[in-house]
Amino acid sequence: MKKLIPLIVILLTIFGLAHYIAPKLPPQTELRPLGEFYLKNSYFGEYSAKSPEVVTSILWDYRGVDTFFETSVFFLAIIGSLTVFRLNKKEERLAKQKPKEFTGGLTLVVKSVTKIIVVMILAVSASIALHGHLTPGGGFQGGSALAVAPLLIIAAYSKYALEEHGLDKTRALILRSIGLLGIALVALVPLLTGGFIMQNQPIFPAEIKGQLVSGSLIYYNLFEFLAVGGGFTAVFLLLAIPEKVFKEILGVGE
Amino acid sequence: MIAFIWASVILALIATIMISLYGIARRPNLVKKLIALTIFGDTANLLVVLLGYRVIYPVAPPVLPYLSREALSQFVETAVDPLPQALVITAVVIGMAVNVLIAVLVIQLYRLYGTVDVRKIGERLPALLEGGEQ
Repeated sequence: MKKLIPLIVILLTIFGLAHYIAPKLPPQTELRPLGEFYLKNSYFGEYSAKSPEVVTSILWDYRGVDTFFETSVFFLAIIGSLTVFRLNKKEERLAKQKPKEFTGGLTLVVKSVTKIIVVMILAVSASIALHGHLTPGGGFQGGSALAVAPLLIIAAYSKYALEEHGLDKTRALILRSIGLLGIALVALVPLLTGGFIMQNQPIFPAEIKGQLVSGSLIYYNLFEFLAVGGGFTAVFLLLAIPEKVFKEILGVGE
Repeated sequence: MIAFIWASVILALIATIMISLYGIARRPNLVKKLIALTIFGDTANLLVVLLGYRVIYPVAPPVLPYLSREALSQFVETAVDPLPQALVITAVVIGMAVNVLIAVLVIQLYRLYGTVDVRKIGERLPALLEGGEQ
C-alpha cells in the first residue's frame, strides 16, 4: 500500500498536466519536408534508391555514411567486450574443457523443442535480413534475431555443444569480420568507377533476373546480418564460460 | 480526447525518463543501474519515434504498398515520417552492443571484487590502488 502512493501521485500529475497542455500542443498531422522527399523519392524519382522500404533506403543510401559510422561504434563495443574477456591459448583450452560436474544441459523435452525452434529462428532471421529492402526489417534486426539462436542453444544444451559442432569464438569472430569487410568493400566499390562513396544506383543493378534487389541495399543487409549475428554470438560464448572456470583463470579464488 | 491521450503519452514517457535517471543516479547496485540505463535508452528512442508519428486516422508505415505512381500521392497522405525511424533503428542496435559491453564490465567487476555495490567497490578501490596486489 505504501508503494502505491507515489504511483498514484505520478499518475495524477501526468493526467493533470496532460489535461492542461493538451490544447496547447501543436497538432502533429503534417509531414516534414525532408520526410516527404524521402517518401516520394525512395522508389520513384531521380534521387532514387529503388527500394519500396523507405526506412532501409534512408539507412543505407541517403544517410549511408551515418550507418557506416554506427556500424563502427558497434564494432568498437564488441571489441571492448572481447578485450575485457581476453584469454591466452592455454586459458582458452581450459575454458573449452567440460568441467567434471557437467551433466549435459536441460531435459529431453527442452532440447527437442530447441532443435525445432533454432531452425525456425535461423529461417526467420534470414528472411528479415534479406527482405530488408521490401518489408520492414534489415540487417540490424535480422542479425539481432540470428544471435538469439546460439543463445538458445547455450541455455538448453551448453556452450560446449556449440563448440563441439564447430561454432567457437574464433569462427564467430571470422563471421563478423567477413561481414564488416563486406560492408567496407561494397561502400568502396563505387569509387572505382568514378562514383561517390556508398553510392547506390549507378553501379549496382536494381533488378537481377526480374527480382527487385534495390542495388547495394541487399548486399549491405546481408553483410550487416553476418556482422551483427557473429559479433553477438562471440560475446555470448564468452559470457557463457562458467564462473568457476573464469575465477580460476583470473586467479581470484573464493 | 485524442490531444489528451497524445499529451499523456508524451508526459508518461518524460516521467519514465525521470524515474530511470533517478535509478541511474541513486541505486547503488550496478545491475540495477544497467537496467535503469536500458529503460532510459529505450524511452529516448520511443520519444524520437513519436516525433515522426502523425495524429491522423488512416496512418500507414513508411513502406510503399504498390509499385505504381498513381498510389504514391495517396501513400504520402497517410505515411508517417521515415527519418526518425531510420535514426532509431541504428540507435537500438548500438544501444544493445553498448549494454552488452557494460554487462561484461559489471560481470568482471563482480569477479574481481565479489560485489556489485558501488559503495563497497569505492571503499576497496583506494586500498587496491595504493597497495598494488591485494
